[in-house]
Amino acid sequence: MKKTDKKWIILCSTAVAAVYSAGYLTTENQVSIEQPIHQVAKNIQTNNKAVNDGSVSNAQKNKLYKDGTFTGTGMNRRGSIDVMVTIQNDKITNVEISDFAMHYSESDIVGLPDEVLKNQGARVINVSGATYSTEAFEDAVQDALNQAFNTVG
Amino acid sequence: MRTVKWMKTPKGYVTISLITYLIIASIGYKTLNGIRNALIAVVAAFVIEFFYSRIINRKSSKDGVVITGLIISLVLSITTSWPYVVGTAAISILSKHLLVFKKKPIFNPAAIGLFVSVFIFHIGHSWWGAFGDLPWWLMMFLLIGGYIVTDRVNKFPQVFAFLGTFFVLLFFMGYFQVGDAADALRPPFINATIFFGLFMLTDPPTSPAKYKNQILFGVISAVSGIVVYGMFGGLTYLFFGLFMGNLYNYWNKRSVMKSAELKQQRMKNSQRALYK
Repeated sequence: MKKTDKKWIILCSTAVAAVYSAGYLTTENQVSIEQPIHQVAKNIQTNNKAVNDGSVSNAQKNKLYKDGTFTGTGMNRRGSIDVMVTIQNDKITNVEISDFAMHYSESDIVGLPDEVLKNQGARVINVSGATYSTEAFEDAVQDALNQAFNTVG
Repeated sequence: MRTVKWMKTPKGYVTISLITYLIIASIGYKTLNGIRNALIAVVAAFVIEFFYSRIINRKSSKDGVVITGLIISLVLSITTSWPYVVGTAAISILSKHLLVFKKKPIFNPAAIGLFVSVFIFHIGHSWWGAFGDLPWWLMMFLLIGGYIVTDRVNKFPQVFAFLGTFFVLLFFMGYFQVGDAADALRPPFINATIFFGLFMLTDPPTSPAKYKNQILFGVISAVSGIVVYGMFGGLTYLFFGLFMGNLYNYWNKRSVMKSAELKQQRMKNSQRALYK
């Protein structure tokens, strides 16, 4: 078959590039992920009585983390994960994935909250082939722990 | 001389481009994991192809096997462990032999392997070989290599129909704020689309040759892919679109064959009537 005319190739390439650019510009204000930011601080702190009107107990002062439930977010180019981490007496007592907006399946990392509870830290064993979800999860947990960090003590 | 001749074949161009991307991406990511996975995928594909061809007593296609293995390794994450890479390669090669029409694969083998592996092995795709997390200007390599390959296999109408329809639909999605068009138009998803459109969609055995059919193939693939993306998001929308295009190509081939058979039958009947 006769090859496509070069003029047509240039014309079609320009048209495709123009449509792409139009789409890119149209969605400019819808971009939720600042690339390549790995984490954005977001804190919804509940049940936290540690910091209030300057009266902080000695027991609370000596703690590494404040008690309460803290939400952290982990982001990368493939989406974001929100986690809720509950801390009681410097111990992580509960970890929940509160929002999963990755382009992968949530079932790939469903075991990671238990791993955080077991390890009592953000580091988890990388899930083979689900690196981006694992990284976002770790960042989210670390973000929540940063929110919980007791600066008073 | 034979090597020079091979390099100028469509499969030669594709193989050289994919190996170049493998090297560039490995330098960019500063890891040899991708090259390790590529070797595993190619060797596994070769072994499966060899034994299967022996069993059914059929000549194996060495170039096609290398290309399938390379595409698999460039799409799967570099952290994917070897059993999953082998499993994906096995599905791809088996689909090439089992899902056939007139001894040609109906579906793009690498796409089948990668699509099925998501559901069986629960492994993600990173499209690292399309430079998804590397500087944007590296996409120039994709465009240059893809242009040469598309020109060599004479598939420009198909590629333009696919990319044009795909971007028009994403523009409308973005304009009416339906789904997540912003992600699909940006790295790493746009890298995946370009790589997919230029290197997977253009696979000669699983796509049509005629320009009119190429345009329909491209439009069908883009519309089906965008519908899946709009409904489910995820990362498998490109493959789903391609399968719809592959099915159109299969239906088209069957229709052409059936009408040729009918024509032949009619000719035979008229000849018989003349001799009577």
